[in-house]
Amino acid sequence: MSRKETEYEKSIHGSVFLRLIKYMRPYVLWVILAFLLVLVITGLELLRPALLGKAVDLFADGKEYGKIKNTAILYMIILFLSFICNMAQTWILQRTGQNIIYNIRQEVFEHIHQLPLRYFDITPVGKLVTRVTNDVEALHEMYANILVKLLKNGVKIIGLAIVMLLINVKIALYSFLVLPFVFAFTACFKKVSRATYRIARSKITALNTYLSEHLSGMKLIQIFAREQEKNAEFKQKSRELYGANYREMMVFAIFRPLTYILSIIALVIIIASGSKSVLNGAISVGTLYTLIQYISSFFEPIQELAEQFGTLQSAMASAEKIFTVLDEENTIQPPENPVDLSSIQGRIEFDHVWFAYEGENWILKDVSFVMEPGQSIAFVGATGAGKSSILNLIGRYYDIQKGRILIDGVDIRQIDTDQLRRAIGQVQQDVFLFTGDVAGNIRLRDETITESQIEQAADYVNASHFIHQLPNGFHEPVSERGATFSAGQRQLLSFARTLAYDPKILVMDEATANIDTETESLIQEALSTLMKGRTTIMVAHRLSTIQHADQIIVMHKGRIRERGTHQELLSYNGIYQKLYQLQLEGEG
Amino acid sequence: MIRNYIWRYRWRYLLGIITLFIVDFFGLYIPEFTGRVTDGLDQGTMDYRGVLHIIGLIFFVAGIMMVGRFFWRFFIFGSARNIEYELRNDMFEHLSKLSMKYYNEHKTGDLMAHFTSDLNSIRMAVGPAVISSFDAIIMTIMVIIKMILYVNLKLTLIACIPMIVILLGGVYYGKIIEQRFTEKQKAFSDMTDQVQESISGIRVIKAFVQEQKEIMAFAIANRNNKDKNLRVVKVQAVALPLLDLMIGISSALAILYGGKLVLEGGITPGKFVAFNQYILMLVWPMLAAGDSITLISQGLASMKRVEAIFNEVPEIMDTETMDTSLNSIRGNIQFNHLTFTYKQEGSMEKMLPVLKDVSVEVKAGSTLAVVGATGSGKTTLVNLLLRMYDTKPGMILIDGHDIKEYPLSVLRENIAYVPQDNFLFSDTIQTNIAFGVRKLKDIPYETKRYSLFPTKKELEEASMEHEFSRRENIVDQAYGDLEQVQEAAKKACIHDNIMEFTKQYATMVGERGVTVSGGQKQRSSIARALMKDAPILILDDALSAVDTNTEEAILRNLKENRQGKTTIMIAHRISTIQNADHILVLEDGRCVEYGTHRELLDMNGHYAKLYKKQQLEKQLEDEQ
Repeated sequence: MSRKETEYEKSIHGSVFLRLIKYMRPYVLWVILAFLLVLVITGLELLRPALLGKAVDLFADGKEYGKIKNTAILYMIILFLSFICNMAQTWILQRTGQNIIYNIRQEVFEHIHQLPLRYFDITPVGKLVTRVTNDVEALHEMYANILVKLLKNGVKIIGLAIVMLLINVKIALYSFLVLPFVFAFTACFKKVSRATYRIARSKITALNTYLSEHLSGMKLIQIFAREQEKNAEFKQKSRELYGANYREMMVFAIFRPLTYILSIIALVIIIASGSKSVLNGAISVGTLYTLIQYISSFFEPIQELAEQFGTLQSAMASAEKIFTVLDEENTIQPPENPVDLSSIQGRIEFDHVWFAYEGENWILKDVSFVMEPGQSIAFVGATGAGKSSILNLIGRYYDIQKGRILIDGVDIRQIDTDQLRRAIGQVQQDVFLFTGDVAGNIRLRDETITESQIEQAADYVNASHFIHQLPNGFHEPVSERGATFSAGQRQLLSFARTLAYDPKILVMDEATANIDTETESLIQEALSTLMKGRTTIMVAHRLSTIQHADQIIVMHKGRIRERGTHQELLSYNGIYQKLYQLQLEGEG
Repeated sequence: MIRNYIWRYRWRYLLGIITLFIVDFFGLYIPEFTGRVTDGLDQGTMDYRGVLHIIGLIFFVAGIMMVGRFFWRFFIFGSARNIEYELRNDMFEHLSKLSMKYYNEHKTGDLMAHFTSDLNSIRMAVGPAVISSFDAIIMTIMVIIKMILYVNLKLTLIACIPMIVILLGGVYYGKIIEQRFTEKQKAFSDMTDQVQESISGIRVIKAFVQEQKEIMAFAIANRNNKDKNLRVVKVQAVALPLLDLMIGISSALAILYGGKLVLEGGITPGKFVAFNQYILMLVWPMLAAGDSITLISQGLASMKRVEAIFNEVPEIMDTETMDTSLNSIRGNIQFNHLTFTYKQEGSMEKMLPVLKDVSVEVKAGSTLAVVGATGSGKTTLVNLLLRMYDTKPGMILIDGHDIKEYPLSVLRENIAYVPQDNFLFSDTIQTNIAFGVRKLKDIPYETKRYSLFPTKKELEEASMEHEFSRRENIVDQAYGDLEQVQEAAKKACIHDNIMEFTKQYATMVGERGVTVSGGQKQRSSIARALMKDAPILILDDALSAVDTNTEEAILRNLKENRQGKTTIMIAHRISTIQNADHILVLEDGRCVEYGTHRELLDMNGHYAKLYKKQQLEKQLEDEQ
């Protein structure tokens, strides 16, 4: 994927463009209407200079005011027509563009939510956020502006050329002499200005990186008394940005006046060749004036065209990135004919399970165990022994390579994933709280869970005590990531959340965080409430939690090393016994 | 204050404004020339030579304008860039003087915003806003006078009616669009927050099978974003065509009334041609008026914010009690009934002291180890010794003098420090290790001249920076004497690791460099401190990510190299500290035990318990 992203400029191909066009299909009639309007607008725009020219001729004749009045009225009508067409066209296209953007964004968001956890393990959150937000935004320009403007400017340039040729071939051809220069010059200007812009952008990025690094590392700089040196270094970077900015300014300072002089040259050519024709009597003064207006209208569409090709390019780059995400497949395939387990009892069986995130890097090696409904099992062992992976496998967040995992005797690959996960309550080690309020963090987005159910759940798990102490109780706002709640409180909230969903199976990764003794006992109590009548499978760290499990499994390097009850394991004098002693020391 | 920066460029601004005036003034003649050609040809008073004469005049005027258009950009935009550059440098310099407290209270992101958006709007206010205000006022007056004098007063008045609509509409439009734009941006950032949160919490969402509900909730934010965008579009879809319509009405009025005037002999057709062009010239100043109001008000707000930074006074600095004759340190440290509380302004909560009545002496040349649970005050002790915060006089003495008597630079030059969070800068390893000894003269200050056309190399660099790709392939100049750097690295047991990198000491590390492990970072950070060879060395939990064998080697090297020099080390592992001359056990900011390893074991208290626990852990590890 990274290869594709860095080399997007090379891999722009027809298919990306075609895929983008496909999103326009539902709005095809609107788009056609907008295109027709554009043609009308362009025609009207070409008429206006001709009318002004005609006015000049009428003035020169100096006879009939009636005709002048008619010209003015006609001019007004054209004005109003193009006003209305312009408004309609802009509105239609912008709305269509926004609708398409809405659809694409929704599609990307939905698609991301269907991807397996593995994808999120290896993809930074920030990158995915950018895909949904900024990259999609970049496409908007293309749908709402670029396509129509490409057409409009193309039509306008050709239209202008034809009209001028119709008026007077010789003058038209003379004035066209300047056009190749305008094209070449504009292309050159756009190329240079884009390049200098890009360089300036990269210098800004570099300076900002430097700044954020050094502002957060200021302590170190001060401790090492290196302020002066860092100031000098910053000045150097700042100077580079200044240089890049200055050059950007100079590019504009030079190219803009040159563009102006080109337009003057074009004007002069028309005057020189046109006035000769007027003197010959070949054209009228008014026509000359019309031509003067036409030639100055040539510049804008040419400059816009150059601009639009650039924007189109970056839109394509964003599209490419978006499609890469959309083409990502969900590796957790839902079963074709799911076995309906409407009431899961909670019997879990691991049957010679082998699991690796990648290749042959086995995280679990030949793990087998059985749990009857309502039983509890605790996994202990060093970090990296594979305990947490077991928890993730039950909800089928990852697929195993060998063996089977059965729930109530059915292979989990045969069960509808949503149904399976609904039966499992997960208590994560690192409790994630959403922005919103306390109640919202318990019910999540399930509106069928009533306020009283929420309060009841909180009550059962000892969470209501601290919630009632909050100024707004259950409606106390939760800031980003719940930073204002202590580890213990978060733990209790996650218990309440799990209980509110009333799962048959409880999967828990016990938090290792330091929690004060008072909250600790609340948590222990809540835990036994939670475990009641549920098959519980947990990774435990606290002795009290472990001791009460029906079965304890000691994992080491992906294999089951010891298993049994607390008493049995202590008598083995093995790893468990050592761990136990250590815990006693730590807690005592 | 920012006025001073502008004042520095007063001559350039003056020159810029004069050229701007010249450009605007000569610009008035081009329509007149075309008008004269029209009349001359119409009335037959002009032959082809006359036309050529006018063409000559057009070229002359256009030439002046071309040069002028370059110079006003050069003078005014150039000055604005200079002001931005100087402000940026001074702001960074000022920030580097501010104390830890300031950084604790201000988020890096907020500080960054001053460098990006605030500086930008200040630049817009001292650059483009100058042009728009000038044009809005002076150019308007000049064009209107020209229209009245050259063409006709009444015609001007009639044709200007739509222009007033444009002016007022522009100001009104600016207000509305700004408000709707803010709404739109808010909708976008709300939507972004929701995406961010949803993806960060994807594990919970999947665990509770909330995907469909999440998607529906997103649809609301998505639709809101769309609606807010359309609200902006609605205004634009009317405003831009309306502008076009108003300009057109001006022309139509000119035809109607101008035609009458021509028939009555009031004006010539040529003047009508010129008049139409003057109308077009009026459009830009009308729009510029609205622009300049927005730009200047935004600029003023940003100036206020930036000045607030400059008004911030550093908390820690040299005071009157400073004695400049104290320019070296031997390394005897005395903590004298040290009690310290972090002050928190504005908070009604009474803060509890972090250190309570700690009295310990570290003899010059000895080693003190500090142990204790998190939050027991270990790091605070070190921070105070580094004068990151100030204590009451007499609480910390160095070589018998109060810490405040030493100039800040002398104090910090004489202490080498290995922090807990091992911060490496995005630079080569060599430069990072030599960080503490790097001198001002080592930093090159090149004023590179840029050619107008970017070179291929510049573009390549730019695209690389842009893609945030690793910069391993760009050879950066490394600073510091390589031999000395290598020696420090060897003592810190990182040399062999560094030699394994393809670019060895020239390897880029930090955010955008190669990934180095926590242990490697820690050891680089130790090398950086050792390179300084200061009389006092502080290691704040600096060996936590290093395996036991390497730890032993580093400790051995330290012992050799720190002969006769003072060392303070904070650690959790007994193995790290057991050979220290003295061990201080902190609990809740109090010194609870103090003595040698043996003595403390005999006490059978906190330290002894910690020791036993770690012994057991080691056993378990060996078993597995």
